Amino acid sequence: MRELFFFQPDIVSALASGLWVSVQLIIPSALLGIIIGVTVGALRVYGNPLVKTIANGYVLVFRGFPLVVQLFIWYFGLPYIGIYLPAFVAAVIGFSLCSGAYQSEYVRGAFLSVKTGQTLAARALGFSQIKMILFVTLPQAFRRALPGCGNEIIYLIKYSSLAYMITCIELTGEGKIIASDSFRYTETFMVIGAIYLVLTSLAAWLLRRLEDRLHLPGFEQYG
Amino acid sequence: MADTTPILRIEHMTKRYGAKEVLKDASLSINRGELKVLIGPSGGGKSTLLQCINFLIKPDRGRIWLDGEEIVRAKGKALYDYRQKVGMIFQDFNLFDHLTALHNVEIGLLRVKGLSRNEARNRAVLELDRVGLTEYMHQYPAELSGGQKQRVSIARALAMDPEIMLLDEPTSALDPELISEVLDVIRTLRSNGMTMIMSTHHIGFASEVADELVFLEDGSIVEVGPPEKVLYRADYARTREFCSKITELYGNSSS
Repeated sequence: MRELFFFQPDIVSALASGLWVSVQLIIPSALLGIIIGVTVGALRVYGNPLVKTIANGYVLVFRGFPLVVQLFIWYFGLPYIGIYLPAFVAAVIGFSLCSGAYQSEYVRGAFLSVKTGQTLAARALGFSQIKMILFVTLPQAFRRALPGCGNEIIYLIKYSSLAYMITCIELTGEGKIIASDSFRYTETFMVIGAIYLVLTSLAAWLLRRLEDRLHLPGFEQYG
Repeated sequence: MADTTPILRIEHMTKRYGAKEVLKDASLSINRGELKVLIGPSGGGKSTLLQCINFLIKPDRGRIWLDGEEIVRAKGKALYDYRQKVGMIFQDFNLFDHLTALHNVEIGLLRVKGLSRNEARNRAVLELDRVGLTEYMHQYPAELSGGQKQRVSIARALAMDPEIMLLDEPTSALDPELISEVLDVIRTLRSNGMTMIMSTHHIGFASEVADELVFLEDGSIVEVGPPEKVLYRADYARTREFCSKITELYGNSSS
């Protein structure tokens, strides 16, 4: 019977609902993280000194605070100033802002790798700064940042497991409940770990396909 | 061919980096249809002068007139409009790496001039045809030779309908056997009446096509005159010295 434990209907449905919550946390956080990362990365490269300082400050703080501490602040801290966020919302905000800070670093590096001559050429043609970023440097920077950004998304999939710490019961949270109810800690967390492994493998495969799709001559990738 | 209204006039252009004055009080005027060639040692201020003309480098001092109108507020839309009228060709081509030859020419038409997709496409195809690259229009910069890249960049600049073209050593980064294909395009532009200011070390080519040579050294315009005068009967010893050296090196590689 031991082997069949994870096929019991109530266990399966608990894991499934946990997985569903995890997916709902991961997808918006990954997308928002990318949007924040691209925006902040661009500001850190092309902004005026004041904007750069603010953007650098954001990265310093959100990369510097432990993520679980950030989540505690969003969920347990904000009520002290009268802001009550649902656990799910607090988790998505925490993940997005943390992920965005890391993403901005990959994006910043990628912007800097676009040859400056191309920005001169764009300006000489009459491009405004914003058009130059949107149509000349960002399409190139995005391609170059993609491997790093994908790496960050894989991290995000795993650190989404911190959401249960602020009562948002996702996959790891469900696992913890199952484990403490059944005392089958090893098996439960092996199964949970395997599900994360499937998620990260799936993400890696999708990101690889995206890289292949966006590939252009002159933007060679190896391996 | 050249008429006598200055299309572009610059006066007292000065640029300083820290204590070093890289451009000293340079004044120049060029008539419609003329080709002026900047010569002089590297680091003499040729690139700085060209890049000050379209404000890629912001001059510390100096005034610019295009078509009789002074450029007073060199920022925002006024600046972007002005730059469209002043085409620029760079030594390193500076094509947009993520775009095909065709899209490189199209993008300014679409995003800066606001043409429709069809208009932009037609114009880009036409310009690439003019520089002889019709069959390469779907290639990316990484798949083109240096000479082809430079011709794409010329097509890209011409598509914007500039009043004047600035060419900053357009052949210096090319393999010797690719130089002539770019010089041929410039020669055609010249005979079609395009106004151009070009810096180059190809003194043979310069003396063949230039209306005037402008000798720049240490940020100053030392001497201006028709090629035969600057090359063989220059007023200043330094000009004569430079010209005799460079004629020895590049004089015969004009074709």
